[in-house]
Amino acid sequence: MSEQFLGYERDDDSIGIRNHTVIISTAPYANDTVKRAADIVENTIPITHPLGRCQTKPDVFQTYRTLLGYATHPNTYGAVVVAHAGEIVDGDELAEDIRDTGRPGESINVHRQKGAMNALTATVNAAQEMVRDASKQKRVPADMSNLTFGINCATSDTTSGLCQHKATANAAWRLITDHGGRGCFAETPEFFGGEGELSERAVNDNVRDEILERVEHWDERLQATGYDVRGAQPTPDNMDGGLTTIEEKSLGALVKSGDGPIEDIIDYGSKIPDNSGMYIMDTPGHGAESVTGIGAGGAHFMIISTGQGHTLSNAVMPTIKITGNPNSAERVPGQTDVDVSESLVGDEDFDWATDQLWSEIIDVVSGKLTMSEAVGESQFAIHRIGPST
Amino acid sequence: MAEKYVAIVESNDNVATALRDIEGRESIELVVNDQTMNIDITEDIGFGHKFAIQPIDNGETVRKYGKSIGNATEDIDPGDRIHVHNVESNYGRGDLADDNQVQAVSE
Repeated sequence: MSEQFLGYERDDDSIGIRNHTVIISTAPYANDTVKRAADIVENTIPITHPLGRCQTKPDVFQTYRTLLGYATHPNTYGAVVVAHAGEIVDGDELAEDIRDTGRPGESINVHRQKGAMNALTATVNAAQEMVRDASKQKRVPADMSNLTFGINCATSDTTSGLCQHKATANAAWRLITDHGGRGCFAETPEFFGGEGELSERAVNDNVRDEILERVEHWDERLQATGYDVRGAQPTPDNMDGGLTTIEEKSLGALVKSGDGPIEDIIDYGSKIPDNSGMYIMDTPGHGAESVTGIGAGGAHFMIISTGQGHTLSNAVMPTIKITGNPNSAERVPGQTDVDVSESLVGDEDFDWATDQLWSEIIDVVSGKLTMSEAVGESQFAIHRIGPST
Repeated sequence: MAEKYVAIVESNDNVATALRDIEGRESIELVVNDQTMNIDITEDIGFGHKFAIQPIDNGETVRKYGKSIGNATEDIDPGDRIHVHNVESNYGRGDLADDNQVQAVSE
């Protein structure tokens, strides 16, 4: 018998584990209006960024689909979009696409409102009404098959691949194989050295070739800088934790994906498909950017499997942080949701570690706040491809 | 008695990971492929850091998870610490790219 959870039903047939009202900026010049409105209106999440204007098309599409991903995320009740003037990432179009999913979507424009202070009032008024409507919605029982599991590393060290990534992989595959859910991991440059074995897990030759091509493309992008990538990958804190090369980091990082079949590799910020299985999103290894991408793809929650401990988190998609490094669990208890170090240096095994994590997941999807949610910690960073113009 | 706080992932790895702080001059007993071996540690190895369990020649592949994690940049003896000072990566090496047309920005 499948386990159930308590979630929020949406008109587009998705089920949320949270009921957020988001206030989204389409350009840097609307960011302050968004932040000020979110300070005033309780239970709103501001989404701001430095993009949305003077970008080339590949970045415009990426920025737009990432913002739309958050506005129409399963955990999102509705969104107020704030634009500055006429941007290539169009606020009115975004609000219309939001309403097409059955969610409330309002569009505010600073120029049309005759200035930022008027726009602030309009944004507050729209958000105030939206959060009161959202607060009436009740959680209802829902099947676990509705859920999508995000996976990311954070400040990996040599314990990551030996311990916490195993529990993370086991929990992800429990959701997929026992409950019919989905999983998504990312960070393509962190496949370096393990891409051969990873690509052999693809469900068909097209997906296999696509994985190899995208890994090669990242290596070419990094080589084109003219420098050794060491220092950026692995990072100084990775190296402090004992990781020597990007290959060693990658081989450990891939442990968190388990060894089951890979359904597809998808573009940054694009929607994770509905069919049950494990997916890859093509993102950099930069955690804030990869987590932002997976959140835009619609993962309900994310496991942040960390070595040295990390603040990495997301406001819309709750992040559960797990570590198997006993020193990290002791050093940053406020950033450790699940400590499984007893399975690395104590008498417990990885089945115990998996059960510890699964139990936390069951609580969080029905409403238990994560460590980062409880203190309002989050980051938002859309990966950019090309230059500003 | 075999050391509990050392991890060797695959039997053909030539490095091991310390899961406690190990002091230089300790002798560590390890079991690989049912063979017991004693490694004399030559320098302090911090928690999570690695040491060689076989001789590794300059330029030879350093293996963990049964796969390459890079190449040795000097001759390494069993018990020596393994890290960025004696292993280099084979990926993201813009500094070695033959057809590098990029004008490197100043540091």
